[in-house]
Amino acid sequence: MTLPNNPFSMIPPVMTVRVEESLDIMIVRDTARRAAGLVGFSPAERAQLSSAAATLAELILKTGDPHVIRMNGTTDGRRRGLQISLQTPWLAGHSANNVLLALRNKMGELVDEIQLTAEEEPTIIMIMWLREDSNTRATQINPNIS
Amino acid sequence: MALQALLVEDSKTQAAQIKAILESVGLHVQVVHDGPDGLQAAVQQQPALVVLDVKLPSMDGYQVCRRLKRNPATKDIPVIMLTDKTGPKSTMSGLRAGADDYIPKDVFASEHLVATLRDLGLLDR
Repeated sequence: MTLPNNPFSMIPPVMTVRVEESLDIMIVRDTARRAAGLVGFSPAERAQLSSAAATLAELILKTGDPHVIRMNGTTDGRRRGLQISLQTPWLAGHSANNVLLALRNKMGELVDEIQLTAEEEPTIIMIMWLREDSNTRATQINPNIS
Repeated sequence: MALQALLVEDSKTQAAQIKAILESVGLHVQVVHDGPDGLQAAVQQQPALVVLDVKLPSMDGYQVCRRLKRNPATKDIPVIMLTDKTGPKSTMSGLRAGADDYIPKDVFASEHLVATLRDLGLLDR
């Protein structure tokens, strides 16, 4: 299964959090940590991903409107990882290059890839790929992730 | 027997608050107030966990964490940095220093801390 505008395939786990108040940042952090654990990331990598997701949640709060952050396993056929994505209609009409520059400056160290789909409904997609030395736990937790 | 946590926090008020959180989940907590004392206590006490502030007198939390992770006697002890220095760049500085987690001291710090303890296998699920 592939998300619209997304070149990668979605695999379990799939989790979503609706963000509309500051309490939701905590839920986003916790959900990202659990999703990253299910994929097999190390504790430090889980912390990176939860920080990235929390930063997106803070961005949502600044817009003043509720939005949904999606976290899901992803694969490009060779690797698997965790994808955190957010539809950002408020960015429609903005220069994708400028937005990406700002996102990479703020969060580029936390994840491996940051993309912005340039469709009617722009979507921020952040991905961290599993490294070989951290993927043993995934098979222990969820043998269905292949 | 309760697992022992070492808390390195220079603010006595915050140390008392964090100690209470850790004790509420069954950990026995030793508190020290600066980095050198933290390093010494970690070697001597071999705690199950170090909770580390970043802004410390004489040696900051990043340095303390790096030294803990470089020392064969303490390198396997999980380190949680709990700090008011927030944001992606500070987070990465903490994780690059070897921390197992980097938690902002916000209103949800206690929930994050307990979730991390559970995540690290230090609490019953």
